[in-house]
Amino acid sequence: MSESALRDTFGDFLVEIGNKNNNIVVLDADLSSSTRTFKFAKAFPNRFFNMGIAEQNMVGTALGFAISGKIPVVSGFTIFTTGRAWEFIRFACHDNLNFKVITTHGGLVGEDGSTHNSLEDLSLMGALPNLNILIPSDNIELIKMLEYTFKTEGPFYMRLPRGSFPKIHDDKYKFSIGKPDIIRDGNDICLIGTGYGTSLALKSANLIEEQLKVSIKVINLPTIKPIDKKSLLKEIKSVKGIVVIEEHNIYCGFGSIIARIVSENVPKTIKFIGINNSFGESGKREELLNSYGLNENAIIEQIKKII
Amino acid sequence: MELSKADEQKILIDILDIKKDILEMIYKAQSGHPGGSLSCANIIYLLYNNIMRINPENPTWKERDIFILSKGHAAPALYAVLSKFGFIKRKELFTLRQIGSKLQGHPVKNPEIGIETSTGSLGMGLSIGVGCALAAKLDKIKKSIFVLLGDGEINEGAIWEAAMSASHYKLDNLIAIIDRNGIQIDGSTEEIMALEPLAEKWKAFGWEVIEIDGSNLTEMLKGFERSKSIIRKPKVIISYLIKGSDVSFMQHTKEFHGRAPNEEEFTLALRELEDIKTIILKSD
Repeated sequence: MSESALRDTFGDFLVEIGNKNNNIVVLDADLSSSTRTFKFAKAFPNRFFNMGIAEQNMVGTALGFAISGKIPVVSGFTIFTTGRAWEFIRFACHDNLNFKVITTHGGLVGEDGSTHNSLEDLSLMGALPNLNILIPSDNIELIKMLEYTFKTEGPFYMRLPRGSFPKIHDDKYKFSIGKPDIIRDGNDICLIGTGYGTSLALKSANLIEEQLKVSIKVINLPTIKPIDKKSLLKEIKSVKGIVVIEEHNIYCGFGSIIARIVSENVPKTIKFIGINNSFGESGKREELLNSYGLNENAIIEQIKKII
Repeated sequence: MELSKADEQKILIDILDIKKDILEMIYKAQSGHPGGSLSCANIIYLLYNNIMRINPENPTWKERDIFILSKGHAAPALYAVLSKFGFIKRKELFTLRQIGSKLQGHPVKNPEIGIETSTGSLGMGLSIGVGCALAAKLDKIKKSIFVLLGDGEINEGAIWEAAMSASHYKLDNLIAIIDRNGIQIDGSTEEIMALEPLAEKWKAFGWEVIEIDGSNLTEMLKGFERSKSIIRKPKVIISYLIKGSDVSFMQHTKEFHGRAPNEEEFTLALRELEDIKTIILKSD
């Protein structure tokens, strides 16, 4: 059975949580059919606010909802929401508001092309104090994350893709903020992924072991901020080298965050898989992932440099 | 709303005292924005004294009216008024802009002392006001949201996004006030980025526009009264005010937009404000 798109899971979850908590309001910028917030709009028309194609005012309005005791969820395409409205999101973090930014179309969007890709959002969001940043690697993780996000006060940013990710977790999975999720054990090289990066790491691990005769450990790190350093360091202490995999620009992205933690505490060779200083282009998502370096061979090449 | 002679005199004296506090705060900090704080001190005072429902004993009272100082650089004016109405201790005023103070250079959210939201990056307050107004309607609470905008501030595009959404959602509990003093940092508003015809712009965005002489108490109160009677649309009060008002050498000039007075200027400014007080008291 093919997995449903994460945005569909998000849309359904909003309706569920909207039933339980009538303080939740949802705002969208004329993209509710894409982000799937239309489901909430249908169920709770009074608590849904279409703000038109105006991300700054959407997030600004959500600030007003938050200081009035509501729990605003703002949605839209990742690059427009985090980019155009960045300073408004900064204020939600500055005032530590109970505020949820949950966007879709993170990373490489496919045919819509470079203008719609979001390969810079982690750089923008990662610099904001107080903000919790989460990236799901599959639908089950997404649901657990959403549950955590809505039962925890404070500003959250969740980055969802346009499409689906293969199933990695089962229902017993427990999301724990900041903690690494070990999905494959190994001794020599550790692949650390987030979002699609986790899928790719897991998918590549067997092939790498076969070809390079090294033992591969795979860590899923769904929390970009705050990372529980102690837990992460414990998991990577004994490996020879690390490859970080992200669907984001490798400049100022997830890899940079991991590199800071590693170099400060357990310096060792670290390599980066992601989009290398580019905005991308139009094409089928699979083709784009392949041609922009998010593939098994790219990982193998990096590991060869370590061993 | 008719004011008795005694009421009017008290208000005028209070506003002058607030202006003295503003100058003393900025003088002691040796930094801040005197021009735009002096221009709107009377508006903020009138809101707290005559218009808004507030409760300093219970500052986060759910039914209170909300004031958002979108032109956050006028923070000294807000702080001085909040102190006058018992939200902030007077001696705390003179910690303005010092390390560890609650009274930051631009307002930082602290509802316990009456600061509803952080502001200071211009162009954000009206959107925040839209959210507060929608939330109040959702909760069926009758409260008004007042947002004070600088005239230079409305160069920001987000203001016009907010303006469009406020009339779309028919937010008659939202009242924007524009401090139309005509001067921004680099010069006159018409020279830097022309705003006129300003009233027509707001009308075209679906707002009820009320224009008042912001130096005239009765006219201001009438303006606020009129705004209450208008339903199903947001209202904007364009208030013609004077940058650096009541201090001769700070009036009508960009020079004191963001510069603190030196000792000589400070002494002179206080003397001028005292002189005006004497004249008002004598007119009894």
